[in-house]
Amino acid sequence: MSAELRPPRNQADPRAVGWWIAQNLIATVIVFAVAAAAYWIFTDRPLWLGVVIAALAVAFLAHSVLTPRFYYRVERWEVTDEAVYTRSGWLTQTWRVAPMSRIQTVDTARGPVQRLFGLADVTVTTASAAGAIKIAALDHELAAELAKRLTAITQATPGDAT
Amino acid sequence: MSDETGWRTLHRRVPLGEAVMSLAVVVPAVTGLTRFMLGEDFSPALTAAAGAGATALIIGAALCHGMIRLRSTRFRLTGERLELVSGTMVREHRSIPRDRVRSVDLKADPVRRALGLAVLKVGTGEHASGGKAELTLDAIAVREAEALRRTLLNQPAREEPEEPLARLRWAWIRYAPLTVWTFVGGALVVGVASRALKALGVEVFETRAAAQAWDWFTGALWLTIPLLVLANVLVGLAGAAAVYAQTWGRYRLEQEPGTLRIRRGLLTTRSLTLRESRLRGVQVAEPLLLRFGGGARVKVVAGGLRKDKDDESEDKAALTPPLPAAEAHRIAAAILREHALPLGDLRPHPRAARTRRLRSAALTVAVLAAALGATGALTAWIPGWAYAVPVAVLPVALWFAADGARGLGHLLGERHLVTRSGSAVRRTVALDRSGIVGWTITESYFQRRLGLLTVSATTGAGDGHYDVLDVGRADGLDLAARAVPGLLGPFLVGAAEAVPARASGDRIPQRSPN
Repeated sequence: MSAELRPPRNQADPRAVGWWIAQNLIATVIVFAVAAAAYWIFTDRPLWLGVVIAALAVAFLAHSVLTPRFYYRVERWEVTDEAVYTRSGWLTQTWRVAPMSRIQTVDTARGPVQRLFGLADVTVTTASAAGAIKIAALDHELAAELAKRLTAITQATPGDAT
Repeated sequence: MSDETGWRTLHRRVPLGEAVMSLAVVVPAVTGLTRFMLGEDFSPALTAAAGAGATALIIGAALCHGMIRLRSTRFRLTGERLELVSGTMVREHRSIPRDRVRSVDLKADPVRRALGLAVLKVGTGEHASGGKAELTLDAIAVREAEALRRTLLNQPAREEPEEPLARLRWAWIRYAPLTVWTFVGGALVVGVASRALKALGVEVFETRAAAQAWDWFTGALWLTIPLLVLANVLVGLAGAAAVYAQTWGRYRLEQEPGTLRIRRGLLTTRSLTLRESRLRGVQVAEPLLLRFGGGARVKVVAGGLRKDKDDESEDKAALTPPLPAAEAHRIAAAILREHALPLGDLRPHPRAARTRRLRSAALTVAVLAAALGATGALTAWIPGWAYAVPVAVLPVALWFAADGARGLGHLLGERHLVTRSGSAVRRTVALDRSGIVGWTITESYFQRRLGLLTVSATTGAGDGHYDVLDVGRADGLDLAARAVPGLLGPFLVGAAEAVPARASGDRIPQRSPN
């Protein structure tokens, strides 16, 4: 018999997959546009280098489009009356837990691309420099509501949170 | 020295102290001036007059500065706060609530000691960026500083000093040379000294004596190189012993009600008092050389004790000098007031941790050797035998890997979580369980295959997190669940019997007040 950490109850918003793909694609397109331009301008355009760049571009595109589905499956979160609990990562998995009584701040943040998808992140910090917990890619209304609820719970919990 | 509103001034001998300390500027300045003027063929009388004038000017300026500081600085202690008004061009009013005071630091260098003065620093442990977390009174009478220290930390006026937790034994000085500085110390001293002399206009390396010495040196290398190494080590030994004596002479560690007090220093005396309620644990650190010699030192884990900015060599978190490991463990357990905590006897981690470290060391070396070998074979950038360097280092890498694995260990005490790791510096940290503000548990792909994970306790003090590295999966989760009851337990499955899901009756015993 060995103990296991159970997965947190909730997943990110399904739109997160779209957002992650969009984010990956933007980064990939920028990087390979620069690479292609450099290839065109600064080299003698040898065929082998062109093939290498093209192969890399295809690999990165595939990676950008395919991996977010895996991430969606592994990114999970849960908020109970006592604690905030998250899991993230695929090859290296990370579980984080912080008790309500030790939470100091609750923030929501929305990036420009994230806003197009109607998503927001909730970040919870404790007194520790290493203890911030991020719940990524929630529906923005849900995120606001969750932040409000967390703030209310932490204010009702006694203690100076250190 | 205090008027009816309670405002007090610094000590009236402050200007005198500044004048005496300005001699440190006077001596090199006047020496330099004299050399310059004699070199330019000024008459000796004129040179002497100029020297005297410069001396008077510098000392006068220091006196004036001291007078102005004395007149413009006021402080007072009210029921709730300690207030300080200072500055002439920019008036600064600072005040700190008395219940925020975490540490009081008294310091007196030889000059201030001779004048009966001490510098008092009050630390609040605030992390406020930009804002100073300290309030400094430079300087007040020793007696007044001592009284202020007791008042600020709510201590009874005077009582019989208890037997200290630890006091210096001069036999411990044998641990002083066990740092890298001993081996590079001699060369460092020569370098610094020659620079200092150069600043005064003496070119050591260009004198005829130096040239002759160089000839002699290169004439008999078989003799001179061992001699030079020996001299370097001797100077290093002497330097290390001298620094140890100055830093830790008259060292006493005392546990007073609610506070911990370290007193030390042969020439410059220090006294640092920490409020125990802000302590989040202790750390026993064993750097490699010190560990080979069987020594260790104890440091605190507390918020707001960063390194002193104007004195990098001093680590405020240090509680003891290097001393025997068993003694370090005894002192650490006594500071924690958990005397039965066997800090030297922790639970070892599974063999898989060793496997993982050995593998990653071997893999790193193999990859490096392959990369260097390929580069060497294909290009002319590096010699073809470069791959042999990582291979030659392999035994060392493997030794560090095995030693690191040997050092892993953990333990759950009544009030503390103990974890140990590290090879170059082995650290045993005992963290107050009530100071843990969350958990981070990570499991990499390789850890998962070996059944290991890393449990990291986050805390507001010290490094922000303390890790139990490469612990067996079930063991680690169980440890985290028991260390802070009710936090991780609800998220565990498969061990519901062993770990009560919500153990509300099972609170961590708090440190008793006083």
